Amino acid sequence: MSTNAAKNLFIFGSLLCFAVLIILTIDTIGKLDERAPEITEEVNAGKKVWHKYDCIGCHTILGNGSYFAPDMTKTTDRKPKEYLKKFILDPRSIKPDSAMPKLGLSEDEAGKLIAFLEWISKVDTNDWPPQPILALSIAGRTAIAGQVLFQKYDCVACHQIRGIGGAAGPDLTYIGLKRPDIQWHIKHLRNPESVIPDSAMPRFDDLLEDELRDEQIEKELKELAEFLITLK
Amino acid sequence: MHYQSHKIALNFYTAALLLFLVQVVVGIIAALQFMWPDFFILNFNTIRTLHINALVVWLLMGMMGATYYVIPEESETELWSIPLAHVQFWATVLTVSAVIIGYIVMGLNPQANIEILGTRLLNEGREYIEAPRWADILIVVSILLFLLNNFMTVLKTKKFTAVQGVLLGGLTFLALMYLPGMFYTKSMVLDQFWWWWVVHLWVEGSWELIAAALLAFMLHKLLKADVRVLAKWMYIEVGLVLFTGILGLGHHYYWIGTPRYWLWVGGVFSSLEPVPLLLMVWDAFRTTRETRGVVENKVGLHLTVAHAIFNFVGAGLWGVVHTLPQVNKWTHGTQITTAHGHLAFYGAYVLLIVAMIYVTLPSIRGVRQFRQSGGYQAFWWMTISMIFIVIPITGAGMVQTYLERLLGLDYVTVKASYNLWFWIFRALFGVGFLVGVLIMVKDFFTLGKKPVS
Ligand code: HEC
Ligand code: HEC
Ligand code: HEM
Ligand code: HEM
Ligand SMILES: [Fe+2]
Repeated sequence: MSTNAAKNLFIFGSLLCFAVLIILTIDTIGKLDERAPEITEEVNAGKKVWHKYDCIGCHTILGNGSYFAPDMTKTTDRKPKEYLKKFILDPRSIKPDSAMPKLGLSEDEAGKLIAFLEWISKVDTNDWPPQPILALSIAGRTAIAGQVLFQKYDCVACHQIRGIGGAAGPDLTYIGLKRPDIQWHIKHLRNPESVIPDSAMPRFDDLLEDELRDEQIEKELKELAEFLITLK
Repeated sequence: MHYQSHKIALNFYTAALLLFLVQVVVGIIAALQFMWPDFFILNFNTIRTLHINALVVWLLMGMMGATYYVIPEESETELWSIPLAHVQFWATVLTVSAVIIGYIVMGLNPQANIEILGTRLLNEGREYIEAPRWADILIVVSILLFLLNNFMTVLKTKKFTAVQGVLLGGLTFLALMYLPGMFYTKSMVLDQFWWWWVVHLWVEGSWELIAAALLAFMLHKLLKADVRVLAKWMYIEVGLVLFTGILGLGHHYYWIGTPRYWLWVGGVFSSLEPVPLLLMVWDAFRTTRETRGVVENKVGLHLTVAHAIFNFVGAGLWGVVHTLPQVNKWTHGTQITTAHGHLAFYGAYVLLIVAMIYVTLPSIRGVRQFRQSGGYQAFWWMTISMIFIVIPITGAGMVQTYLERLLGLDYVTVKASYNLWFWIFRALFGVGFLVGVLIMVKDFFTLGKKPVS
């Protein structure tokens, strides 16, 4: 190949590739609306709060950003909004050793931010992040009723048992030693603030996806508490 | 030939190296914050912003310095306007200083980051392009003045060389690709879509053109190799860079809310991206092998070849391993990305500028012989440290991918307990890297000033 031929191939080849990129860009932009919910004023205001405090300087969102803190794409799927709002306002009031500092958001800003995080969690990301394929169930073989409920209500989103689960709330591996009283647990689960002032743990009602009858709730709370005291 | 214009290149190199020092010092602080988040008055996000912005800005200033050297030498004339180049230099320094101060103020008090005219005053809150809009505009003006000066210089003697063409073409493409980062979008998906135009089409497009042009320039200057052969391979390299790199952009559009066809486009084109980088390695070796005669500037040649190799390893190999959607689905946004980011930037661009400095500084200072050991020492301190930063971080990425993404353990648990040792290693070798930079800065200020003994 002569130098001139190489040069022409470079120039025209690149222009052609760029033209294809432009076409794909136009097509992509046209398809974005159907892949995400509508962007309300509140969501947009939340996005601005996200930029204002430079959350991307520690977190990733849609997997892009900084790798110092967890990804924010599907946070609202696993944790209740009230809890997240409390956390963002003052992380160390909930988790004393949290690596996230208090950034000074106002109540209003935090509310908008949650609306933004809820929006992003509904974007069609081609199934990212993927479900862990090797996920261990903490139970393994002999699941007692409360253990199944512990999974069902996704308590693992916030609590760890033997290294598995979230780190937002205390580790529950030895909770049976620390709090052996079934009645305490039932009270705590029903309304955490009744026993722990300013608790950030959601009430049992807020974790339910469907309405349950009172007797059913009674039963499940007891089963959960029975499971918790076995952890030691 | 000795040109007045080359003093401008020296100014840019000096500013670049000082920012390099800042970058590495804050890098070490960031590394320590992985173990002690409250280690410093500024939070991690501000430190990281300083780290990556200092990086990008010093590399850009290094490229500008290199261009102010290459264009007069290739055109065999002084710059079109030396005063304009001085103005452009100081305008850049002022803008960059103002932006840095802004980041620090914002870090100390986020409330100072107010909204004016629809954008943020101090920090835009978007990775790499944190600089606020007013600074973006000043930076664009500065780049336009810089381009104008160099284009007019080329027009003065109408000696159009291939190196000039690709170098200025790459720089123009660079300036244009800054624009997609300069408007606000309500959708975070669209925000990231355009953001990647800037980030990806810079490092895997325009910057790679600049690298190919400077590689050809250095091989010619060091080895007196035939320009026509160098030009031909340079065109083939940059042709392949853009053929694979432009649509390779798709490897960032797998999971951000864009249509599924990007999995194909990104996967196919980006997995070919290492090919031109490998070609550059071969080019460097072939030219060196075919040239007989003594090479005076051995350290310059050493760095040039090292740049070609580490460009391929860091960008090509460490990039291609996680570029297929089947892999990227699991590794996206983990420490694997950090490891790749470090080795790629180091190999492709840090070593490029370091090589250019060592290739051109003797001529700028008007010496032919100089003490070369400082250059070698700096190189080995930096390179070995970088390798021992990247290995632990790759390890951390593998552990994270396995435990968090495959087993479903919590992010915080993996970071705080399983990966702790990797953070310790990174911080230790970060100090080793700093030693290398210090050796180089000292060598830069003294090179050619004392007679060789
Ligand atoms: C200085 C770094 C830093 C900044 C800035 C930062 N975060 Fe965090 N954030 C963290 C870390 C680290 C965690 C991990 C949890 C921990 O250590 O307690 C976290 C945790 C969180 C969580 C809890 C996630 C969970 O699953 O429990 C939310 C929500 C959150 N951050 C939102 C934000 C938002 C919104 C912003 C911007 C207003 C922000 N963060 C800014 C470091 C940061
Ligand atoms: C959104 C996060 C979150 C979820 C979901 C959550 N918790 Fe909690 N939990 C916390 C926090 C924060 C605390 C600490 C404050 C407190 O003790 O109330 C806590 C405390 C506890 C404690 C007391 C721990 C101790 O050391 O005193 C128990 C027991 C507990 N949770 C059980 C559960 C169970 C069972 C579930 C599921 C039904 C659950 N939690 C769901 C956040 C959560
Ligand atoms: C030429 C020099 C290159 C540089 C300087 C570079 C740098 C980077 C950086 C800094 C990131 C992280 C961006 C962020 O912070 O979000 C990144 C991401 C990425 N790079 Fe490169 N890169 C280069 C070339 C390549 C090549 C040639 C490939 C593939 C063959 C590649 C594949 C990737 C992929 C797949 C990601 C996304 C990682 C993720 O999903 O988290 N890179 N690159
Ligand atoms: C020339 C050398 C260096 C280059 C080119 C470089 C480049 C980068 C880049 C591009 C990023 C952001 C992208 C990413 O996280 O993937 C980054 C982040 C970072 N760098 Fe560097 N860096 C260098 C040296 C160092 C050194 C010496 C240290 C300290 C030990 C360091 C510590 C860090 C840390 C801790 C982060 C944040 C990573 C994260 O968010 O997970 N860097 N660096
Ligand atoms: Fe890329």
